[in-house]
Amino acid sequence: MVDRSTLTRRALLGAAGAAGVAGTVAAWPRLTGADIPGRGEDALTILILGTAQDAAGRQVIADAFMEEHPDIAVRIQSVQATDWGDFFAKILTMVASGTQPDIVYTATEGAQLFAERLALPLDDYLQRDAEEIRDYFEDVHPSLIEAFMYKGSLYQLPLDFNAANMYLNLDVLERNGLEMPGEDWSRDDFSELLRGMQGDATPYYWTNRLFGGIVPWLYVNDTSFLTEEKARGGEQFWSTFYPGEERSGGYLWTGSNATAEPVHESFEYLRSLVADGLAVRPEEGGGNTLVGLFASGRIGTTPAGGYWVQGLAEGGMRPEQYDVQFFPRWRSQRHQFGAAGYAVMKTTRKADQAWEWIKYTASKEAMQLAFPTPSTTPTRRSMVNDALYAGVGPEHWSRFYDTLDRFPTSGPIPAPPQQAAVETALIRNVSTALSGGAAGVERSLQNLDRDLRAVFAEEDS
Amino acid sequence: MRTDRRSRLMTWLFLAPTMIGVGIFVVVPIVGSLLLAFFRWDIITSPRFVGLANFTELATDRTVGISFLNTAVFVAVAVLAQLCIAMLLAVLVQSKMPSWMRVFFRSTFFFPLVLSAASVSILMKYLFNESYGVINWALSLVGIPAVPWLTSPQWAMVVVIAVYVWQNFGFSFLLFVGGLSAIPGDVYEAGAIDGATGWRRFRHLTLPLVSPTVLVASVMAIITALQVFDQPYVLTRGGPGDSTRTVVMVIYESAFRQLEFGRASAIGLVLMLLIMLVTAAQFRLARRFVFYQ
Repeated sequence: MVDRSTLTRRALLGAAGAAGVAGTVAAWPRLTGADIPGRGEDALTILILGTAQDAAGRQVIADAFMEEHPDIAVRIQSVQATDWGDFFAKILTMVASGTQPDIVYTATEGAQLFAERLALPLDDYLQRDAEEIRDYFEDVHPSLIEAFMYKGSLYQLPLDFNAANMYLNLDVLERNGLEMPGEDWSRDDFSELLRGMQGDATPYYWTNRLFGGIVPWLYVNDTSFLTEEKARGGEQFWSTFYPGEERSGGYLWTGSNATAEPVHESFEYLRSLVADGLAVRPEEGGGNTLVGLFASGRIGTTPAGGYWVQGLAEGGMRPEQYDVQFFPRWRSQRHQFGAAGYAVMKTTRKADQAWEWIKYTASKEAMQLAFPTPSTTPTRRSMVNDALYAGVGPEHWSRFYDTLDRFPTSGPIPAPPQQAAVETALIRNVSTALSGGAAGVERSLQNLDRDLRAVFAEEDS
Repeated sequence: MRTDRRSRLMTWLFLAPTMIGVGIFVVVPIVGSLLLAFFRWDIITSPRFVGLANFTELATDRTVGISFLNTAVFVAVAVLAQLCIAMLLAVLVQSKMPSWMRVFFRSTFFFPLVLSAASVSILMKYLFNESYGVINWALSLVGIPAVPWLTSPQWAMVVVIAVYVWQNFGFSFLLFVGGLSAIPGDVYEAGAIDGATGWRRFRHLTLPLVSPTVLVASVMAIITALQVFDQPYVLTRGGPGDSTRTVVMVIYESAFRQLEFGRASAIGLVLMLLIMLVTAAQFRLARRFVFYQ
């Protein structure tokens, strides 16, 4: 039995104070963030969008790199985000807090944001190590490279890409006595195909975002919601790595083109598909349910890139149950694509080491480690082969890469440095344009035009 | 004299942990946000002082205007529905029933509140899917065509409110159960002698006696509803168009999507002032409508 009178208030306070100090000391690594794995280590930090499992998955590349470069320690760090916009915002927060990485794996959506504000141009390194890196460019389509050029400088070497192709469910086609369309099918052929499966499956399932939403339909109609121009510059690069190729210094999206007649035409076409029950509203699309719905024969067609092959295989879909086709022809058959690669942060103090990483990851050896399954399309043409798609890919898997050869004017996702605001404006007004009558299209495009003008005016100021 | 000083010192010592915590995590961010509202800042470049520009631009910003309107509609409908449902169920649960049943209902009604709003909203998104949702499937069994719950501007706000109310009424319910339990039984006995039963009993006895709880519940419900974010963000991302975009969503998008931290802070301050005004108005009105025993 403890004698209560022996525990004085002073002793109690003293004990509490001592406990507080001890607790603070014990928790110091957590309070200061020093217990975050890799914090404080002198390693080349590479940031990717994904989970800790994704980071662990890339460790094999890091290990192979460190074997080749034992003097460069590499740490792969993942950041979870709902989409690329969310990912970029988190990177900027890391920059603000002084914990920025050295290298970031980023997609077309952020290419110009990075080029404008965060990334280091690779031009000098490319010229210095031209012979070492030449085999990469010989294997990669120039359209993909041009997408990562900004005002004449190259900022990233794209490692994987996805063009917006059309997936067709062969089970649905067969149930409805429909034929797989040919490569030069038209928009009207597409409408006819959708009508042929109406009542049996959802004919066209799509989504509302920059990739695979309204934009592919604008591109095949030879237009875009933004004014697209090409920058000058990059001549030395093109003459070094792609002699004879007439290419620019990169894309420039300079303002709104939302009120152009072909844009209205594309919007009206999609609105009529929704109104006629041939397409779902775009807000319904995307998400984790899509694979299951497509694999179970409840969706007839949907736009997607090569990244979907592995997902469908894991979802239980056999290669003979679906196939992939180019987007239907309208005024043109220009396709939309998105790509991704590593960008070196201009704040890094390890630029030379970062360049070694960029060079290594662009090698065939590293890309084979990075893309062992068709969960995306490697940018090296030589890797898009039977071996990659054997047993899992659709019959015409070659169309994933052929898209670039067949339609050399195919362009990247329209993503200027103000991508977040542009995407917000697009998503907002696409949904209103397609959710009502024909008059709503005109009104929504005017609103889109006004929103985009505000975005570009703000940047100018 | 010495004892007084010692006593004051002890007072400050005991208050210090709380004051330091509140200072670091509440006061500093509020002051920081207040200052930030007068700057343009995108994290990467240095903040640039712009005076009242962030505030004056809000006045002509269509998205901000719509978001305040949406939030007002949301608060009016959601809070009313939340309080009415909570009161109705609290009265029913407090009526005569076996105690195990009362415990069961209390737990059941409170349960949605402990779930993550994001998880609930993801689940609801599946249920309300136009093409493959269970709700439209059930409606189709009785011949009702598919309703575009989340993809039409007319229905989207209805669903956001319904999901929010379903998840949040449990808190008001719990407050009302507490308030109703505190009403002495002899009041009802006296009322019964005077012929007060049913609706009259509720209107003239229960409601006045529970009115202080109604005040607390409504103040808390309005403050929470004015800051709604999770449900519209997950269910509709503010769409279709701007039809379910709320003020806090615009703050989030301005800060973390468009990197306009000054604008986001300005909107945040306006919202804070609005919350303070509404709460002050409620307490002012309470003088007339709240009955303290």
